[in-house]
Amino acid sequence: MFTEPFMQRAFLAALFLAPLCSLLGVFVTARRMAFFSDTVSHAALAGVALGFWLGFGNPTLPLVVVSCLIAVAVYWLKENTELLTDTIMALLLSGSVAFGIILLTALKGKQGEIQRYLFGDVLAIGWPEVWLSAVLFFVVGAGIFIFLNGLSLITLQQELAHVCGIPVRALNYAFVIVLTLAVTLTLRLLGIILVTSLLVIPPAAARSLSRNLRQQIVLSICFGLVAGIGGIALSYQVDMPSGPVIVLTSIILFAASITVSKLSKRALSASA
Amino acid sequence: MHLHPIANPGTPAVEVRDLHVTLGNHAVLRGVNMRVPAGEVVALIGPNGSGKTTLLRSLLGLQKISSGEIRLFGHKDIRTALPKIGYVPQRINLESSFILSVREFLAMRAKATRAWFWESHSEVDVRLAASLIGLGIESLLDRPVAQLSGGQLQRVLIAFSLLRQPELLLLDEPTAGVDTPGEQSFYELIAQIQARHHLSVVLVSHDLSMVYKHASWVYALNGVICCEGPADQVMNAESLKEAYGIHVSTYHHHHGEDHVH
Repeated sequence: MFTEPFMQRAFLAALFLAPLCSLLGVFVTARRMAFFSDTVSHAALAGVALGFWLGFGNPTLPLVVVSCLIAVAVYWLKENTELLTDTIMALLLSGSVAFGIILLTALKGKQGEIQRYLFGDVLAIGWPEVWLSAVLFFVVGAGIFIFLNGLSLITLQQELAHVCGIPVRALNYAFVIVLTLAVTLTLRLLGIILVTSLLVIPPAAARSLSRNLRQQIVLSICFGLVAGIGGIALSYQVDMPSGPVIVLTSIILFAASITVSKLSKRALSASA
Repeated sequence: MHLHPIANPGTPAVEVRDLHVTLGNHAVLRGVNMRVPAGEVVALIGPNGSGKTTLLRSLLGLQKISSGEIRLFGHKDIRTALPKIGYVPQRINLESSFILSVREFLAMRAKATRAWFWESHSEVDVRLAASLIGLGIESLLDRPVAQLSGGQLQRVLIAFSLLRQPELLLLDEPTAGVDTPGEQSFYELIAQIQARHHLSVVLVSHDLSMVYKHASWVYALNGVICCEGPADQVMNAESLKEAYGIHVSTYHHHHGEDHVH
């Protein structure tokens, strides 16, 4: 399976994106931003449609740009209107999907793209996506550890973080943009519908076995790697789409971690 | 005997002049004047919706003000004064699903342990040890911050706020969700810390009897400062009625302490 060029690209992309999403996911889940991630991934459909309409052969660039614009729009509307955040996100999510589907249907020969982006397609991962994933992995990975204290305090309580001199607004926007970039690149692997799972399931599995943030971060990255790499290998073996197999692999890890956590708690209380 | 804060010489920790804050169409603060001299414990009391939290948020630069002036240690730019401020927020605002441990939380604030992620627990503990003396939280270091009881959390938040040697401590309803013995020991701890570090303290509280016992100066707020003065002068039925709009009784306990209810 490693001799196939498309599989090499898929493995490399998963090697960079799965741990990155799992790391970001620790903060996404604690900050209850899973719906936000769903919103920017669905906005990608509008980006894809616009890209094809504007004549792009590979719509990755317009996809990333439109998703980032929607991400910033969510935060701008949150700060400048009295609308609830969930309302804003539901509005932008459904609007982007509707716009994307209508435009792709209107463009001749592009209807098949809807399915490819909704459910993911490892064949669509080219070398530019692999390089982008590598750059994002190293830059964002380093950035998260440099700003770990600020990001953690913002997650615990924004006002406390502000009093500690942390640039809360700038870090919030940076986190949103980075999250959007990670989501838009990962959706080629998992598809628009399933991409959020890689941000939510590995950190959730890690949390049930962790007693502190460091343990959760390390375990989440490990679970993400196993789900991403293992899921792609398994999908090749059983000839199934990679996205759903990655998700089911991470759910098996989640179920195993919950079971281990429950059993160890029971053993601890029995010995006490 | 307490001097009026205006009469106290030197640069005050906090100086608020003619502060107006409007939220939506509602004028929450309407010309508030306040002064916290260095080294004093000043309490801010008032009913729900009186603007206590808005005033505290304004002091921290978290609330846009409509007009007026705030100076912290003489600085108009609040960001310049932030390194001198310790802040203890209300418990209810903490993100409960976040698994940050007490050790990690404190290590983030202390300069010596900022790289805690890459260090062993024992190394972090050694570097934090001196800052935790007298706070009784050594046994809590492995516990998640958001899962502590009210009293435990307040001690941890106090430890956190003291790690950078602040000159001003802002406490927002610090004993909300804490039982009565816990409340008493919390205020005793604050009094010890205040005396040891010669801190200025602004205490926002509903708990009138604790304010009476521990604050040297009291501001009663209800959109405007209704009355101010030493605790024993402000905490009388007439002043409190002006602030709270209802009759609040004060009575003398047989153990010799005045209580306000």
